[in-house]
Order: sequence, then structure tokens, then C-alpha cells
Amino acid sequence: MASGSINVSIPSIPRDFGKKKRANRSAKLKQCKLDARREQWLSQGAVKNKGCKEELMGPRVSPQQIHEEERKNALENLQMRRRGVGVGVGEDGNGNGNENGSIHHDFDLDSPLNSPTGSSVLGGNESGTNFSASSSSSTTSGSSVGGSITEEDGEENDNCLDDWEAMADALAANDDDNKLENHFDENNPCLELQSSLEYEPTVQLDCNLPNLGFQNENLTQERKVPPRVTPGNSRAWRPDDALRPQSLPNLPKQRSFKNIDRHYGQGVLPWGCASGVNVPTSCPICTEDLDLTDTSFLPCSCGFQVCLFCHKKMLELDGRCPNCRELYKNDPVKVETSVRRGSLTLRLARSCSMRS
Amino acid sequence: MQASRARLFKEYKEVQREKVADPDIQLACDDTNIFKWTALIKGPSETPFEGGVFQLVFSVPEQYPLQPPQVRFLTKIFHPNVHFKTGEICLDILKNAWSPAWTLQSVCRAIIALMAHPEPDSPLNCDSGNLVDVLFV
Repeated sequence: MASGSINVSIPSIPRDFGKKKRANRSAKLKQCKLDARREQWLSQGAVKNKGCKEELMGPRVSPQQIHEEERKNALENLQMRRRGVGVGVGEDGNGNGNENGSIHHDFDLDSPLNSPTGSSVLGGNESGTNFSASSSSSTTSGSSVGGSITEEDGEENDNCLDDWEAMADALAANDDDNKLENHFDENNPCLELQSSLEYEPTVQLDCNLPNLGFQNENLTQERKVPPRVTPGNSRAWRPDDALRPQSLPNLPKQRSFKNIDRHYGQGVLPWGCASGVNVPTSCPICTEDLDLTDTSFLPCSCGFQVCLFCHKKMLELDGRCPNCRELYKNDPVKVETSVRRGSLTLRLARSCSMRS
Repeated sequence: MQASRARLFKEYKEVQREKVADPDIQLACDDTNIFKWTALIKGPSETPFEGGVFQLVFSVPEQYPLQPPQVRFLTKIFHPNVHFKTGEICLDILKNAWSPAWTLQSVCRAIIALMAHPEPDSPLNCDSGNLVDVLFV
């Protein structure tokens, strides 16, 4: 899985940034491998995901084909990019490579704007590696992206690439800096941040214009170079953040994980309190504290919970629920809940490991 | 044994906490034996028992709450479902309809409800039952 992203990076050695690239490549390789291994370990549906990834790798649409379409989006992209460049330079200021990186970072931010036209996975994968490099969480790489791919993720990848190509196209369309400046004018806050440095990356992009595909690869490579501290990295991932590693679980899921985590972390009592409604902390019959097994034990459909001991005793007596007086069924809801609980804990473990 | 004791302790705490909430019921346990309780209940309004205070005695079995407590009136009461001499109460929830979810407090409430709504069809006090039948039916 890691080899995919590596292969991608090899053929595209940019003229200006090749050295830097090489210096970092070995580290990247290691990281990719690590990530791949971790992802393998993490992902449950590895096979499925592989298939997904292959699928994505297969039909690669050349940038030129999408060119026309992308051009429409170019303006939007440029605007977004402008803002991003300003911020990136402000925080990075490391050099050309970094600036380029920040630009591409911004492209990713653009991605929600664009229509998800099919294209190659390159952008997506490499952006994935970039995430791992920059966030140093080392859980995400090109491969890991593939590993956690849902269909939506695939689309996101496409989006990323579209943005890249769209960006390139936009640059091609706007060879001169005049237009760029126009866009700068539209973003007032970024105007202040402008400097000569900011313009350099765009100039280089323009140099690369003749070969769009190559340029794209260059760009993505440059992105991978520095472990930058970009605004996106200094804060938590947001759900709408296109830079967000796609191997991370979706936010709603994450929330639920967190809740679960909290509950489990604090033990039985907070669990009962937090989930609130009908989960007593102690058995209403014997007043013993309910443990995890008891809380997951729903003997009656009315929701009246008792501990297993009392339940057994009542089965021996008349076998009726103390609350609703309905006869206890032989097969209480317990099985279902235990299954659900099992899956929950499974997922919890996964999310935990990804966070660490 | 332990379960019933713990349960009774819990009920005792509840009672202390809700003393103000239900002024019609004063429930207290024996100082030395938590399985012996006494209750003072006020006769429900708009009944012949209004204005009266009736004393109940609870004898809690060790299997409580799986087994119902034994309750009887210490105060003499003329009621179709209460034995006039022994104070025994004929109430389904104290017999076969008992549920472990009931508490001593809720038993007191049930008894108050029984005072307000006698069941002449299952009399312990036949004279009273007949009277109710004659008067109200």
C-alpha cells in the first residue's frame, strides 16, 4: 500500500526541490511503511479498501481532459488559494518549498468547492502522505488513506486532485500576475501579508505550466517535503477541513467514540448518569451497584433494569417484571446489547489507537 | 438477609429525605431492628377516616423485597378490607400482587388508597363490607 504513494513520488522529481525531496524521502518511506503497517492492523476491511484503491488508481484522467471544466473553478480556487498563501507564508517562512507547500495546502482547502469529477488518486494519496508528515501523527499516509477509504473518501481524493489540476489550469489561464493581484484585492486581510516571497511560488508554478501533469506531481512532492506548521495543523481537524486525514473517522463517529471513551473511562456510575434517562446506577431491588454487565442487561421491554441476581430470584418466584408485571421473556434483550457493546468497544479501541 | 438490610437502609434514607414531601405518611423504623417499622397515616379526606391518624406496623421478612412486608393496623379501624381485631389488611399488593419494586412508603400510599376505596367484594370485615354494599351499591 505504501508503495503506491512512493511510486507516485519517484517519477516526479522537480528541478528546484529535488534535493530537498531526496533528503526527506527516506524518512517518508519509513513513515509510509509504518503507516501502512499500522493501517493494516487497524483497518478491518483491508481487502475491500485495497480494491477501492486499485479502482481509484486505475482510471486516471489526465489533467488536460478536465482542463476545460477546471478552468471554471479556477477563479474560486485562486481566491481561496490567495488567502491560504498569505497565512502559510506568515506562519512558515521557511523557504520556497514551504511556501509551495502552503499553497497546495490551500488547494486542499478548496476542494469542497469543486465538483467531484473523476481523476487519479495521485493527489489524494500524496495529500494523505502530506498529512502524516505534517501532523506527525503517523497514522495517515497514502496507503492509510486507502485503508480507511469509504466511497466518500474516494470522492474527497478526487476533489483534492481536481483542485490541484484546477489550480494549475487557473495558473495557466492567468499567466500574468495581474490577475492574481486582482484576486488579492478581493481578499483584503491577505493583502497585508503579501510579500515578495508569496509571489515566488506562483512564479514557479507558471514556469512549470507547459507540463501540467508533471507540475502537479512536483507540487505534491514539494508539499511532502517540510513538516510544516500550518494553521491546519496547529488546531484540531475540522469536519469540513479538506486537509483532514481521511483515515480519521468521521466526526459524528468520533463524537460517539469520545462519549464512549468518557463513559468507559469513568466507570459504571458516570455511564449511568451520562446516558441519563433510564439507566439506574444501582439495582432498585437490592440496591447493589450495577456493574457493566448489569447495566447492559435489559430484562424487560419496559426498560426496568435489575441486577442479574435479582432477576434470577424473580424468575424463580413468579418471573414477572417488578415494574410492569409482565412475564419475563426467556430471551431478554441482553444478547443484543452485548453485541452492540462489543462492536462499540471494538471501534473504541480503533479510534484510540488512531489518536495515539 | 444482606440484600434486604441494604434495601431497608436505602428506604430509610428515602424516608428521611421525603418526610416533608408526603405529610400524610410518617414512616419510622424500630430503633434496634430495621425489620420492624411503624407508620402513622392520616385518614384520607372525604372519607369516614378523615381527621384520624392510624398506626400501621410493618414486619419485614428477610426475603424482602422479593417477599412483601406484613402490614397490619395497630389502630382499630372499621373497614371492609381490614380485620377488625387483628388489623390484618386484605390488599392484593401485600399478597400475590406484590412487586419488589414496591417500597414501604408506597405500601402506605396503597393502604391510604384502600381506605378511600374499599373493596367490599373481598371483605375481611363482613359487617363493614355488607354496610358498604348496602350504602353505596
